[in-house]
Amino acid sequence: MELVQALLSGVLVGGVYGLFAMGFSLAFGVMRIVNFAHGELVMIGMYVGFFAFSLAGIDPLLAVPVALVLVGALGAGLYRLIYRRFVGRATLQQLLVAIALALVLQTLAQILVGPDAHAVQSGWGSRFLLIGPIFLPYAELAAFAVALVCVVGIELLLGRWRWGQMIRAVADDPEIAELVGMNAQRVNIVAFALSAGLAGLAGAVLVMMYYPVSPVVGATLMPIALIATVLGGLGSIGGAFIGGILCGIVEQVTSLFWNAALQDVPLYVLLLVIMAFLPQGLFGRQSAH
Amino acid sequence: MPAVLLVALVAAVATLPLWPFANNYIVALAVRTLLFIALGQAWNVIAGIGGMLSLGHGLFFGLGAYATGLLFNSFGLTPWLGLFPAMAIAAAAGLLVGLVTGHLRGIYFALATVVMSLAFEKLARYFVDLTGGDTGLSVTFRGDAPWAMQWRGPTAFLFLSLAVVVIYYLATRAILRSRFGLELQAVRDDEGAAAASGVNTFRTKLLGLMLSAAMTALVGTLYMQFYLNIDPSTAFGLFQAIQIQLPALIGGLGTAGGPVIGGALMILVSEAANIASGKLNLQGVDVLIYGLVLLLVVMRAPLGIIGEWHRWTSRRAGGAR
Repeated sequence: MELVQALLSGVLVGGVYGLFAMGFSLAFGVMRIVNFAHGELVMIGMYVGFFAFSLAGIDPLLAVPVALVLVGALGAGLYRLIYRRFVGRATLQQLLVAIALALVLQTLAQILVGPDAHAVQSGWGSRFLLIGPIFLPYAELAAFAVALVCVVGIELLLGRWRWGQMIRAVADDPEIAELVGMNAQRVNIVAFALSAGLAGLAGAVLVMMYYPVSPVVGATLMPIALIATVLGGLGSIGGAFIGGILCGIVEQVTSLFWNAALQDVPLYVLLLVIMAFLPQGLFGRQSAH
Repeated sequence: MPAVLLVALVAAVATLPLWPFANNYIVALAVRTLLFIALGQAWNVIAGIGGMLSLGHGLFFGLGAYATGLLFNSFGLTPWLGLFPAMAIAAAAGLLVGLVTGHLRGIYFALATVVMSLAFEKLARYFVDLTGGDTGLSVTFRGDAPWAMQWRGPTAFLFLSLAVVVIYYLATRAILRSRFGLELQAVRDDEGAAAASGVNTFRTKLLGLMLSAAMTALVGTLYMQFYLNIDPSTAFGLFQAIQIQLPALIGGLGTAGGPVIGGALMILVSEAANIASGKLNLQGVDVLIYGLVLLLVVMRAPLGIIGEWHRWTSRRAGGAR
């Protein structure tokens, strides 16, 4: 029963991991940008949710669209200012710039809001669904529901929406896309804003499920996005969501059988194993070799 | 760098304690600078010359520091001897890292190595009995005890770290000219072509990584003896991973002088930022400045100071590049 509980909790938390991992995967798949600052974008989304509640009493769930738009706009700005120069080549320079940006955002947050960790005590309270011995907090169920809606939304966007098709076209071959009349830079801004927006949205959702927010939280979350993306397969956005769920399960099962403080260690080992033996990931078409 | 200039520079640093304005703070700052430079030099061997841009060198630095401290605390082994097992452990770790990730290219290698370092950070926090957990591992202070590589003042460490920096500088120059160094550079510039011309690329990369790891671990030993404490995030954290890259990136990747210039410059900038943040009463302004400098250098001067200087002079001379 404990195992079932750990698996279910893992799936619920993992759904939110999958949400920001999809954003990370989108930036990588379309632009070859390994956005090491993705965790910091989640952190900003978390503060949007946190301050919406603590200052204005707005439920974090209602702050989700606000976080999506704000962090999405920030992403578009960062793309114009910085990432634009590095599109199409996953180079060390690009990685370093993203790391430097992560450092800057983290320190700015520390200076602006202080280093302490906060969690909200919203109306979701401690209510939970009890199915036999299985215990499922409503906040986590709602978070997972939001995640599912977003995954379906993103898949539809990329499949049906004109901009989505353009994003995929640019991802496949930017030169051909330009030849047939697309503005690759504009398509990339939209894709990057969407990637950042997903991070912000996931941040607000995390706050709703009482995940404590602090300036350094991004550094904990970024490796998860990376691992989920590599696990799901580089370039497969739906795969990143599944990867996120797997990450959640691995964490919860590790907490159960080993120790909560070490819940990330098997994830790191998993990443190395995947990189060494299964470089195309579970659902990917591209390889790390 | 001309030999005369080099000797003058070394003499100037070595006589620092005798200078009129010198005090323990200034000398300790010089030690910090030299250790920072030495880390950059060690990283530069595999990343600059070999093109394997490791983000996981905190792993080797931390292993060196923890190994020295543990061997001293548990077995009373003097760090003068403890540095050898520390370097050997790091070299073995380098071999393992290379075996698992050596086939990964560029950014994937960087990501795999940083993940290993972060895993060690978590483990070091968890195994409190061995590592001291979050507060870190402290070596017992014995006062002025040369046999234990411990002194009350920073002067002896100035000589030690200066010696390491000079040796690493000369070693880098020797490597750059040696057959091994040429093979490393061939692997960096075009792995396929290097293999086609008979270079055993995998073996070259492994050897480079092991050498770089051992060099990094020696700096870890000195760090441990100088600060008498190492904690998981200083050893294996993300900030350390980035910090190790700064001297070479800013000074000039793959050059012997690059890490020296870049390291000295970065400490100057961070000291200025520290003083400014003290005046403004703000925490973390120095980290902010680090981040911004890194951002600017990578975007505006990707070749580093030495590289950009060569480009500028060759352009002025009408050189075709």
